[in-house]
Amino acid sequence: MTATVTAPGAGRGTLSSATWVVTGLTLRQTWRGAVVVIALAALMSAVAVGAYRTAVASPSDAAALAALAENPAIRTLFGEPVALHDAGGFAVWRTGTVLSVLLAVWGLLAATRITRGEEDAGRWDVLLAGRVPVRKVVTRHLATLVAWTLLAGVAAFTGLVVAGATAHGAMAHATGLALCGVFSASVGVLTSQVFAARSAASGAAVAVLGVGMLLKMLGDGIAALEWLRWFTPFGMAALARPYDGDHMGPLAVLGAVCVLPAVAALATAGRRDIRGGLLPSPSGRAPRTVLLGSPQAFAVRRLLRPLAAWSVGIGTYFLLIGVLAVSMTAFLAANPRFAELAEQSGFGGLVTVEGYVAALFALLAVPVGAFAAVRLAGLAQDETSRRLTLLLAQPISRVRVLAAEVTASAGGAVVLTTVAGLATWAGTMTVGAGLGLLDALSGAWNVLPVVFLCLGSGALALAWAPRAVGFVGCVPAAGGFLLNVFADSWGWPTWVGQVSPFAHLAAVPGAPVGWFAAMMMTAVGVLAMVVGAAGYQQRDLRV
Amino acid sequence: MVSPAFLTESLTKRYGRMTALDSLDLSVPAGEVFGFLGPNGAGKSTTIRLLLGLARPTAGRACVFGADAADVAVTHRRLAYVPADIALWPRLTGAETLELLARTGPGTDLAYRNELVERFGLDPSKPGRTYSTGNRQKVALIAAFATRAPLLVLDEPSSGLDPLMEREFRRAVGEARDNGQTVFLSSHQLSEVEAVCDKVAILRAGRLVDVATVGELRRLHRTEVTAGFATTPPDLTRVPGVEEVEATGATSVRFTLIGPPGPALHALATADVRSLTVREPSLEEIFLGYYGGEER
Repeated sequence: MTATVTAPGAGRGTLSSATWVVTGLTLRQTWRGAVVVIALAALMSAVAVGAYRTAVASPSDAAALAALAENPAIRTLFGEPVALHDAGGFAVWRTGTVLSVLLAVWGLLAATRITRGEEDAGRWDVLLAGRVPVRKVVTRHLATLVAWTLLAGVAAFTGLVVAGATAHGAMAHATGLALCGVFSASVGVLTSQVFAARSAASGAAVAVLGVGMLLKMLGDGIAALEWLRWFTPFGMAALARPYDGDHMGPLAVLGAVCVLPAVAALATAGRRDIRGGLLPSPSGRAPRTVLLGSPQAFAVRRLLRPLAAWSVGIGTYFLLIGVLAVSMTAFLAANPRFAELAEQSGFGGLVTVEGYVAALFALLAVPVGAFAAVRLAGLAQDETSRRLTLLLAQPISRVRVLAAEVTASAGGAVVLTTVAGLATWAGTMTVGAGLGLLDALSGAWNVLPVVFLCLGSGALALAWAPRAVGFVGCVPAAGGFLLNVFADSWGWPTWVGQVSPFAHLAAVPGAPVGWFAAMMMTAVGVLAMVVGAAGYQQRDLRV
Repeated sequence: MVSPAFLTESLTKRYGRMTALDSLDLSVPAGEVFGFLGPNGAGKSTTIRLLLGLARPTAGRACVFGADAADVAVTHRRLAYVPADIALWPRLTGAETLELLARTGPGTDLAYRNELVERFGLDPSKPGRTYSTGNRQKVALIAAFATRAPLLVLDEPSSGLDPLMEREFRRAVGEARDNGQTVFLSSHQLSEVEAVCDKVAILRAGRLVDVATVGELRRLHRTEVTAGFATTPPDLTRVPGVEEVEATGATSVRFTLIGPPGPALHALATADVRSLTVREPSLEEIFLGYYGGEER
């Protein structure tokens, strides 16, 4: 018998080729979400430039648009409109906040998922036993995320320019957008070094960005607090004033600020234990045995923490919506051209408080639908990571486990919509807008059928496409919302728009509840859940 | 004859073109400690997954105490399972995991559970994420033994345990046997199966090779001896129990020892032995020796 002996370190390839393998791994883990974010950045920017042509069809339109800059409510929600005389400036104002939040949230969640998530799952033990040291591995992960967010910036730039906006302003906007993404990805990687659990790392990073967003909103809405914008990446991106001077100073500061969390993350990466964070995790505690008695109780137990976090986020946003109700509706009443334009895009009746909150409650379906989809995606994740195996070895059918998760998520959705309704009502109370409590609640609850559709499509995905539960689960809400907006803005055939659940959502409390449509959507959702449960019961577990 | 704790009939599982399990017919009598032996990738875990209804058979069927394996709400009332690779809920402490499994399981002997926690030396106050492989295994083993379920399905249960804990594990299997429980123990370690099992099924490349009692299994037990001498090695070919003698150098020889080692030791003692290595061949080597390489 002959044997070939390979000396350690004499394997094929060098350290740098091994590092590229790590980069390949990070690309594989992130490309799907990145492609979606990049496509949205290009598409939304281009669509908004196109929408400008209809928005300024006449001089009175332009005047009405200019009035926007004066309104603090609009400024709080969409940012300060700095260049509405320009198609590019209009597009930046319409899409800037949404895109920067989207990119930031994706960046930080992807960061904690591929760093702390992978490490927590034990997969980094193998990776780090190789030749590439931990600091280099973390660097490569961060570099990939930075590259994606920069590409998203390039996509926004291309979308603006291709649709006819000028390049200089587009450059300032795209740079600010990309840097917001870089900042949040760096924060995500940093919190992943500090905390030993992925949920804690994600939570901390979301909190940082939430505070950042809040500071920008305050700075945008209240003239005396304008300086606050210097303390948040979103604010600094806005201070660049794309299409109105294109100031590079704030962007340079933002670029420098992005370096801080990145450097801190890389410095921390080499100084901690693998599987541990910089903060030591608690070594032990007394048992808390509530909500462990059944799969249903356990599903509720696992729901509570994330539900609390989502409630805080959604509650804060809708409190703000409520506080702004009076000034928004007054503004729209004084500038009828805007109300008209909004009506063309499917948001009628904005001049009354009821109509205004109804339009914003429709938006609520997107985060609550995403919440439900994320819960089911968590169940799929528990299956792949084998946590579910011990539970499914109990005398409990898979249908029961799925039913527990679905009902818990549906209950969570009811809580979230109730929080949104109460927060809106409380907000309108402070400004004396005269919105009834029941009106506010029924408006918020009105989106629940869309959430049931999300749960249904998530259940179908769990049965036949378990890797894509989160994405497929979001389709009825986020996909339906985008379809509705695009179909209206681009004048697509009616039936295309009708596919979206939002086309069937009555503008409650401005209009009465559309019981038939609500029942139909609920029925379709429940049917999908039943079919999904049957498929889930039949297939092999992925372990 | 005692009715079987579980039974498979032509049980087959294919993943695409790969046949993981090929027409397995197996009957495990109630009250026995039954070993399930085979090298890695032989199909042991696939069999267990089918038995637990976690995967669906491509053909054939599996029954647990007469009920179809797919009907988990019924079959799992009478069994407890310890997977090969255990993942715990990261936020739940050991005590909370045990509580969850006790309250959703087929019933738990709480006093026995507390005793097992002591015996296995588990600190149940730690959160799941901080447990080592061995400690996660202890949590699952304690939960399973404490159910006192009629059938215990254990997949490579002691692979992460240290020798002291392995002794505790073997004691717990013995207690289960004394209790009349059936234990189905999957392993790739001949010594473990020999130590605790009454009967053994041997699986290789998805096929059942043999079902034997542990006594019959001993014939598989061979020892490979390599000896180095100061001068020319003695002739060992005619020594009883010595087989497959092979010169590995001018002064060294390798042979297989079957049965009592006395005669071989006697023969070696007369020569000037400079080095002696005794090695237990791996299960795979034994299979190759006994069942031939042509069986895939």
